Amino acid sequence: MLQYVVRRLLLMIPTLFVISFLVYFIIDLPPGDCVTSQIDELVARGEPDALKRAEELRHLYGLDHPLMHRYLSWVAGVFRWDFGLSCQDTVPVKDLIGERIALTMIMEAATIAFIWIVSFVIGVYAATHQYKLGDYVASFFGFIGLAVPNFLLALVLLYVGKVYFGLSIGGLMDAQYLEKSMSWDKAVSILQHLIIPVIVIGTSGTAGMIRRLRANLLDELQKQYVVTGRAKGLSEFRLLVKYPLRHAINPFVSDIGHLIPEVISGSVIVSVVLSLPTTGPMLLGALKTQDVNLAATFLLLVAVLTVIGMLVSDLLLAALDPRIRFGAAGEK
Amino acid sequence: MSSADLRYPRQTLWADYIRATAGVVLCGAPLVALDVNRWMALLLGAGFLLFVVFLARTALRQRTRYVLAADTLCADGPAGTLVEWNRLDRLKLSYYSTKRDRSDGWMQLAVGSAGGRTIKIDSALEGFYDIVERAAAAAEANKVELGTATRANLKSMGIAVAELEESV
Repeated sequence: MLQYVVRRLLLMIPTLFVISFLVYFIIDLPPGDCVTSQIDELVARGEPDALKRAEELRHLYGLDHPLMHRYLSWVAGVFRWDFGLSCQDTVPVKDLIGERIALTMIMEAATIAFIWIVSFVIGVYAATHQYKLGDYVASFFGFIGLAVPNFLLALVLLYVGKVYFGLSIGGLMDAQYLEKSMSWDKAVSILQHLIIPVIVIGTSGTAGMIRRLRANLLDELQKQYVVTGRAKGLSEFRLLVKYPLRHAINPFVSDIGHLIPEVISGSVIVSVVLSLPTTGPMLLGALKTQDVNLAATFLLLVAVLTVIGMLVSDLLLAALDPRIRFGAAGEK
Repeated sequence: MSSADLRYPRQTLWADYIRATAGVVLCGAPLVALDVNRWMALLLGAGFLLFVVFLARTALRQRTRYVLAADTLCADGPAGTLVEWNRLDRLKLSYYSTKRDRSDGWMQLAVGSAGGRTIKIDSALEGFYDIVERAAAAAEANKVELGTATRANLKSMGIAVAELEESV
């Protein structure tokens, strides 16, 4: 196992460097930079020193240096938790992202927990009650969840909440807690506001996971060893838990790495629709204004979470099921 | 059955030394050269320690020879131990791969006899198949309970374990 961990970590480190370079390079690729739009504004207002101001801003943000120089100083800064200056408000990126990162991580963690819990219960029920009413209902909602885009569900819930219940379900906390430091009341408010975004973002992931768990569990339940166990008089619950369930939950574990980027990228539009103070809307703004430091920092953090998620899922999978696979032969 | 003297091939050990050194440098260099944030230092420090442990384990492997005999498997080295086949009470054969399609991986065998420490060996060891075959025969004779992963891996190596069905 040590050998496995070492090899995986050695793959992970260069992967992160390559991702960070690609992210930085691609965001910087379009013509112009984050100062261009600010200067256009100054020129439009008839500012006489617009060009001089542009040079000053470019110097301030380090845009007068070549790309590689900027990238290397940004990467060196990452180790000091210093991601440079954001062009949007000329403030350090770390001050801008602080609370948003924390709120995003709380929301994503809650969403992933929601996806796992709901899909585990429904998936097992649907597989053990195949072709019964419960299975059809679960499958129906599963397909609805897969088919309806997150942002549309968010819009519908916003409308229904406002028109029929008089509730404003946007935001991630009550207005009086905005810009305030964390307190018990603020935490409670966040938890109350989390419910809707978690359901909206988690629905599609849940739907996919239910289908996979149901299919895997049905495969396992039809294998010879289950029949043998049943013939030996094992109770249905013990028969389910002992092996089939253990094998069928492998996709749950292997999906940890995929879930994180899926949930984060899926939550960007939802965050805009529901006015959530998470990283999504800020990332969108940073990409539009070519704020390289801010956008690259967000994307690097997503990449780090993804790579760590992949590592955790691979390690769990290696620990849970260290079998060789030849096109799944020999598993029966 | 005469005893066989087995060691890890030189190129395998060198590859592991290179991996360990690369890891030590990648995690250690930022700690030394840069003014690293406290949490980042904790992460890099943990990685550094892990690669140092791996380096030590590789050195240990280089100084260990494995002797496969009719009655025993002996790891003769700084952290040596002995497994008696007729007292074998645990056997686990795992397969690991860093690739998505799980190809190009390696096997790891963990065997131990009552009261003794576990010997862990990788498939890179010369004569690995012979050791696994001997261990499987001993497990069969001692009625050692084997996991589903171990049974599947033994089967993939062409080692029959038909009578070792785990009780469901």
